[in-house]
Amino acid sequence: MTKWLILFRKEWLEMIRSYKIVWLPISFIVLGASQPIATYFMPDILSSAGNMPEGAIISLPTPKPFEVLASSLQQFGVIGLLLIALSNMSALSLERSSGTAAMILVKPVSFVSFVTAKWAAILSLSMVSFLFGYSAAWYYTIALFDSVRWLEVLLSAMLFALWLGFVGTLALMFSSLIRSAAAAAFSALATAALLSIVSSTLPFKQVWNPGRLPTLAAGSLDTAQHINNSSLSVWLTAIVTAVAIAIALVIATGSMRSRPSDV
Amino acid sequence: MDVLSNTKVISLIAPLFLIQLLLIVIALIVLFKAERTRGPKWLWVIIILFGNLLGSIAFFLFGRRSV
Repeated sequence: MTKWLILFRKEWLEMIRSYKIVWLPISFIVLGASQPIATYFMPDILSSAGNMPEGAIISLPTPKPFEVLASSLQQFGVIGLLLIALSNMSALSLERSSGTAAMILVKPVSFVSFVTAKWAAILSLSMVSFLFGYSAAWYYTIALFDSVRWLEVLLSAMLFALWLGFVGTLALMFSSLIRSAAAAAFSALATAALLSIVSSTLPFKQVWNPGRLPTLAAGSLDTAQHINNSSLSVWLTAIVTAVAIAIALVIATGSMRSRPSDV
Repeated sequence: MDVLSNTKVISLIAPLFLIQLLLIVIALIVLFKAERTRGPKWLWVIIILFGNLLGSIAFFLFGRRSV
């Protein structure tokens, strides 16, 4: 356990040195805060954007507060996902090609703790960034629109955090399988996009699909929709996702074990 | 939705601008202190200044060359 903690601290040191600890939270906060603000000023933006015929009247319905929060979740689902995949894309392949993995792994350190320490450090930073960003979105929604009940916000945050964690783990897994960082990021994003498209297009209900999570998170903000979603199916999806994360970690560990160094 | 006064709106949005500015300043400091970057430095200055959020993120992700 002490070995694991040392590795964990090393990962944090690396994230400080690469300034990831600065830019990831800041970009999530900006992302989360800008969505309620843009929604609030949308009528002004449209009217000053020009090329509107003379006398045109735009009347946009004021969105409900939970819809504003749901749209900032959508932002996190596109750009936030991209940031998480990009920041994890060379997590393991860089260790391998720079030789640090070989240096560390000749010492009595298990492959499992090497991979899981990295995973835990990356995910904890991603979760903290997401929570900061979502809190910013929540704060601006309350300030500019109306209040949203904290229980629903918490539930949606947990569901969405699980989805982000799933994609971050995918990026980590692909970075152990594929040497090219760009290809790893692309594979993780493509898998995530595929899962969420499949979950929204195919006509039958897919409890096993982690791609449902962003929809579930947005839906859990809406009080009227609670009746349609039985909590059992939400739990099942969460459990399937957790199992998938565990499998991805096993694959990453196996891949590091079979090929600890590029040379 | 109540109509907010101008000062109130500015006081709401100001933190958002400040935090973006902070990221840009940090990116520029890191850029000037770096010995080598991937690509010329003046190009990164332009990208960071004009690409605001995405520009500085791109610098942190791709611009730094690990020694």
